Amino acid sequence: MYFQLFFVLVCLCKCNCLNQEDEQEHCDELKRWLESSTVSLEFSKKGFHREVTATVELRPGALSGASVLLLYRWPSGVFVDPYQLASLRDQSNWEILLDSAIDLELPAHKTSGFLTYVFPSNTGPAPSVLQVTIPVHGRYHEPSFAGETFTSVHIEPPELLLRTEKCTDLHRFESRFVLDAPCTVSNSSTCSWVKKTLQQEPSTMGILLPVGDGSATKLICGGTLLVTMICCVTLSKYMLERRII
Amino acid sequence: MEKLLSQLTDKHVLFPASLLLRLALVAYGDYQDRTMAVKYTDIDYHVFTDAARFITKGESPYNRSTYRYTPLLAWLLTPNIYLCMVFGKILFILCDVLSGLLIYRTLCLRGLDRKTATYACSLWLLNPLPMGVSSRGNAESILAALVLGTLLCMEARRLGWAAVLYGLAVHMKIYPITYALPIALSLRAPEAGAAEGEPARTWKKRVAFIASFLSRELILFGVVAGGVFSALTATFYYMYGWPFLHETYFYHLTRRDIRHNFSPYFYMLYLTADSRGSQWLGLAAFLPQLILLLVASWSFHRDLAFACFLNTAIFVSFNKVCTSQYFLWYLCLLPLVIPHLALSVKQGLGLLLLWFAGQALWLAPAYFLEFEGYNTFVVIWLAGLLFLSVNCFILIQIITHYKPKPPSQRPKVQ
Repeated sequence: MYFQLFFVLVCLCKCNCLNQEDEQEHCDELKRWLESSTVSLEFSKKGFHREVTATVELRPGALSGASVLLLYRWPSGVFVDPYQLASLRDQSNWEILLDSAIDLELPAHKTSGFLTYVFPSNTGPAPSVLQVTIPVHGRYHEPSFAGETFTSVHIEPPELLLRTEKCTDLHRFESRFVLDAPCTVSNSSTCSWVKKTLQQEPSTMGILLPVGDGSATKLICGGTLLVTMICCVTLSKYMLERRII
Repeated sequence: MEKLLSQLTDKHVLFPASLLLRLALVAYGDYQDRTMAVKYTDIDYHVFTDAARFITKGESPYNRSTYRYTPLLAWLLTPNIYLCMVFGKILFILCDVLSGLLIYRTLCLRGLDRKTATYACSLWLLNPLPMGVSSRGNAESILAALVLGTLLCMEARRLGWAAVLYGLAVHMKIYPITYALPIALSLRAPEAGAAEGEPARTWKKRVAFIASFLSRELILFGVVAGGVFSALTATFYYMYGWPFLHETYFYHLTRRDIRHNFSPYFYMLYLTADSRGSQWLGLAAFLPQLILLLVASWSFHRDLAFACFLNTAIFVSFNKVCTSQYFLWYLCLLPLVIPHLALSVKQGLGLLLLWFAGQALWLAPAYFLEFEGYNTFVVIWLAGLLFLSVNCFILIQIITHYKPKPPSQRPKVQ
């Protein structure tokens, strides 16, 4: 009986070792996918309505072997329109989840940045390249009192997060590279995701947005009130002259 | 050409033709939405429909962000969910054509012959602006119909109905409250004049003036209109609470939209949004509007349609926020004014072109700011002041060329 017990124990250990070796291999593969990936950002369109295109290059097999999540950390100077995004759902190759409600009308200094979780679907220009284009809109900024006519809004490229069912013990990775984020766009559960280990200085790109000239405030106020008062007085004069008795 | 024009402006052709044109636009809009990237339907229509959807689930329409209207509108549009999405647009275009009919009836009551009345209301029925606005799904035509209905009932001296429609109009949008003063002045009891040769004492005149507001008709109007407004407000407050009051009324009263719009105050309000004096500036911006509304109401209350037209045009032009949707508020009253204008067609067209030129001079720098990213704030500010001046000039031309018909020439009320 002891021999049988011993035999079962040895078999279990061997299975566990094999599983662990298997998992080790998958986790190493995950690490390799992340380290070899690149994420670049480019902007199109001008003015207050832009399109931000993120291009992700991965090793072949990564897209089919793992779930991909792009985590955008947007500054307060821009916003996305949830209703516009909902109307684009059918035509886009991604699904998006926002971390908070967006006020479409607030100026930049009265609101804060926000996160978006973008879950790409596996249709890109090539089997190992993903392209995600998101429409963003600029907020009005505080007027400049230093004579500047534009303000710069810095946008970082998104963080690439991967996870796979075959690598579940994420203690193999340093804790600062493991993040909790929604598993899918339905946000019904949270999963642990892994992000790139070799993190260089994130290359931010800036978009320029026009701002008002704060140094001309007195002139603008004076001019506005003068013209409106002149119009008011003139119109009143004619109305009183031609009143119907 | 003249024969075609005269056939088109025959009322038996005009009303069906204007309805068919609007239906065609709705059908085209549906096609464009399904096939092209740029949508025909306005974003507001989707806001109304989403709010109606919340109501069908037993929830508050204010769960839909940016729904800033009365719940009545969302309730009216629940067939969008139960029947089909296009129901709301059909309702809006029917209100549009109804507005044309109300203009026609009012002009007939004010003593115009049928031909002139038909020509005047064709200015609304064949006007591409209200056609486009209603077929895109904006609800402005409901309010136009309510305001024109109020004026028609006032003209026909059916004060009860006028008061009901007025209460409903003020519930739906705040701006008809500016008609309260001209309506009150027109419903006063006639003041007893001083006896010949006896100079009236100032205090006696003042007392007589205040006493004239205690007329039976004015009190009836006030009670009915106030009752309708209060009943609707109380019902919806009971159903939806504070969000109803905030989104329907307080938001619009305290709105400080610093983004570019036609208002002459836009840049001033943007630059001073966070400064300490912004409250005082807001008040300074309100003064010209208030003064002009009082002067217009006092000067023209004997011709209610004209007074309401002027009040609306002044309210929109001097408001702290002005978008092109607001133009419809006074455009629907213009056909009531035009038959009494001693302006030639050339002069009229000249003023119209001037109005469009003023808008175009604003739209150009606004486009470059929003879609090309140039800093055109100062140009937009100047264009806003110019547009205000153009509007004032046009209003002065209308006032100086207005020839009201004397009351004795009006036909008897049927």
